[in-house]
Amino acid sequence: MGNGTSIGRVRGLGASHEGAHHWLTHRFTAISNLILMSWFIVSLLLLGDYSYENVTGWISQPLSAVAMILLVTSLFMHARMGLQVLIEDYVHNSGSKFAALAALNIAAFGGGAFAIFSVARLAFGVQV
Amino acid sequence: MALVGLGIFVWWLGAMGSGPEAYETFVWAMTTPVGYIVMVGLTWAFFTHMMSGLRHFVLDIGAGYELDTNRLWSMLSPVIAIILTVAVWGFILVRGGAV
Repeated sequence: MGNGTSIGRVRGLGASHEGAHHWLTHRFTAISNLILMSWFIVSLLLLGDYSYENVTGWISQPLSAVAMILLVTSLFMHARMGLQVLIEDYVHNSGSKFAALAALNIAAFGGGAFAIFSVARLAFGVQV
Repeated sequence: MALVGLGIFVWWLGAMGSGPEAYETFVWAMTTPVGYIVMVGLTWAFFTHMMSGLRHFVLDIGAGYELDTNRLWSMLSPVIAIILTVAVWGFILVRGGAV
């Protein structure tokens, strides 16, 4: 980091050119959450019978499986971005902040991957 | 919402992907008294988050900043969230299809 020019002193310290993208993507995933969660809640309410056969039969259908995978993706992206802002706002020690962000990314990608795989396994009809 | 909600959501999907026995365990846990408290709590947390998000969408487009309007929706949003929560669980109870 330079200490001569004023731009050199601030370069790399903030969210320049990135903050708006993060903020906008967070809103876009909020919209997809709204659409997909509406589908999810209405579907669950209409399903009525929550036996294993009935629920997995519903999730295994192509449209439900795709919507469910999109819901998982949208929810985890949104949660990851929201918690990232939470960590950036409240964890001030740079080492702890780095560790918290790393843990968040591991949890978000790990949880999302496991959820998507579970839906795919049902949709592709693996005998369990 | 993010930690408890996603945790249970992944548990539910993972249990179904793992088979009927794991799904039975999930259903057992969610139909205990604590399970119902958690599920109703999550429904409420979701709708509160949703209503607050919708309110901020309106504020983000630059509308609703008049003091009276702002005050009205800041109070209405959580109330609507509670009404939606009651509506969802009322529907489940009235239909009698709860697990």
